[in-house]
Amino acid sequence: MKKRSQGSLGLRLSWWLALQSLIGLLMICLIVYVAFALRVEERQVEALAQKQDQLQHILTETQRNHDTAALKHQLDDYFVGHQNLHLLLSTHEGALVYENAAPDKLPSGTRKLRFRAASPLESDRQLSATLTLDTQDDNALLQRLALTLLAAAVGGALVISIGGFLLVRKSLKPLHHLVEDTRLIAADDLRPLDGWQQPEELQPLIEQFNALLQRLAEAYEQLEGFNADVAHELCTPLATLTSSIELAIRKTHVDVEVQELLGSNLEELHRMSAIVQDMLFLSQADRGSSARRQYVTSLASVAVSVADYHEADLDEARVLLQIRGDSTGQFDVPLLRRALSNLVANATRYAHQGSTVEIVITRLEDGGTRIAVANHGSTIEAEHLPRLFGRFYRGDPSRSHADQNHGLGLAIVAAIARMHGGSTFVTSDNGLTVVGLVIPLVTQKE
Amino acid sequence: MEVMRILVIEDEKKLASYLKQGLTEQGYVVDTVHDGVEGLHMAMDAQYDLLVLDGMLPGIDGLGLLAALRQSRDTPVLMLTARVSVEDRVRGLQGGADDYLTKPFAFSELLARIEGLLRRSRPRVVAKESLVLSLHDLQLDLVRRKATRAGARLDLTSKEFTLLTLLLRRQGEVISRTQIAEQVWEMNFDTETNMVEVAIRRLRTKMDVPFTQKMLHTVRGMGYVLELRNA
Repeated sequence: MKKRSQGSLGLRLSWWLALQSLIGLLMICLIVYVAFALRVEERQVEALAQKQDQLQHILTETQRNHDTAALKHQLDDYFVGHQNLHLLLSTHEGALVYENAAPDKLPSGTRKLRFRAASPLESDRQLSATLTLDTQDDNALLQRLALTLLAAAVGGALVISIGGFLLVRKSLKPLHHLVEDTRLIAADDLRPLDGWQQPEELQPLIEQFNALLQRLAEAYEQLEGFNADVAHELCTPLATLTSSIELAIRKTHVDVEVQELLGSNLEELHRMSAIVQDMLFLSQADRGSSARRQYVTSLASVAVSVADYHEADLDEARVLLQIRGDSTGQFDVPLLRRALSNLVANATRYAHQGSTVEIVITRLEDGGTRIAVANHGSTIEAEHLPRLFGRFYRGDPSRSHADQNHGLGLAIVAAIARMHGGSTFVTSDNGLTVVGLVIPLVTQKE
Repeated sequence: MEVMRILVIEDEKKLASYLKQGLTEQGYVVDTVHDGVEGLHMAMDAQYDLLVLDGMLPGIDGLGLLAALRQSRDTPVLMLTARVSVEDRVRGLQGGADDYLTKPFAFSELLARIEGLLRRSRPRVVAKESLVLSLHDLQLDLVRRKATRAGARLDLTSKEFTLLTLLLRRQGEVISRTQIAEQVWEMNFDTETNMVEVAIRRLRTKMDVPFTQKMLHTVRGMGYVLELRNA
């Protein structure tokens, strides 16, 4: 049962960061806007109050001569410099006393101030005045401010988000490295993770993981050790059994039937001995025993010697053998012969009659060598391929040939590749199966 | 012929007694000892022509014994070991062992190695090996690499010729598959497959099947022998 994962941590962090920065910036801009709007309103009120004072002053000054025309003239003069003001003077009864030039169009935004003023015409009476301030410019200013702030908020949020996204990605990068390192851990090479460049938060996880790996490695080692010990302990009893049976067979007076039986037992003992020897060989390889390399001028000639050895077998199977390519380098020749012999034996076993088995030796660009053995036979199913080099693994029980082959041949090929610091490969497609090994150029370390 | 004396130092008593029995049957005089310290004393005190030495012994281990022995003696030593790693072999050979055999081994193999070592340590003036080997009506001309039986030429491949030479040189002796693989093809590892068996079968069809007198015999579980047997 697989639960849905929580989605990408990086993506979620980035989204939240974007949203938060947008909300935060919008709030700041709103406060700035409100504060500014309040201040503008305050200034408008102040301006109206100031104008009221000035008008009161004009009205009281002109009170003395009771001249309507002069009053009108004075007010007109005043309003020349104050285009954004509109004044309506009327008596209590509603009769219009003065109105400055009526605006052609009604301003979209206004602020009105009503006040009473001493009538310059009749000193005992008062006039009611309505002073209207045109606030269109201020409104436009506020609108522009609002737009600017909005743009700033969105833009700022965008910049912060992108920055945040990059930062989150950068911070999560060690995590990707960690995943990659973990992926590279192989069953036979349980190296602990290197956590020194990982953030502190991941350290406990890495420590736990490494402790787990160590326990696994110990268990693996124990198992390997057990295999080797079992094989080792079997050596002496097998030697005793083999020697005693051989001695019995050598006695000429032994019954033919008994001799037959002893011979058959001896054959089985040889098989057991071969398995034990192979298991010991594999455990030595696993414990880091490395190849004793010496310079070889022609790998093809090594292949020819192996081909010679298999000549009769190939002939009986009606299979031809071809060797193509050549390479030079440092190899452990006895080991290589053994690997190649196992590969050829395998290829012969599964090749169609009348087909050709090919040994292809390629010199790689990095100086290494690739040795491939190809045969035409039935295709090996893809699911079996990765386990082909495992011990005692037989893909198809019907093709096991258990009488000739105990299932360690390819495991030994893999061990020999490892002892040379190399690797193995296998492909099977359209009846063409290619199995082989890649041996890197000898390094200084070895 | 002078009798050869062999000392077997092997802590596994059963194996030691079988080795003694087998070697005695081959005409050697054999002493066995199961302990390293005692083994060293015996090897130092008495004159042995060869030592068969187990690698792991109680008291003192094989390599230690070898080092002590080499202070004053150069008796040939064949080491038996359950360890197969290349490093071990090298260490042992540097430590003074003359040859190696890894357990489990075949007795015929042990015999062949012992004979080889004794031949090496006692270089006898052998008559120059004849350039023509023969058994009954089979003849091998080593110079012209020509094989004939009953006067008719046998058509052998190069490796088949080498194989027949080996069998003929050691006629009457059972030669194991491992030895054949090693000496004819230089394949010094146990193969799981039956290359030698197939090669022998093909050789047999050429040099034995057409004739009434059979010479190439299979000794089940042990190997092959070239000899005349009376029906």
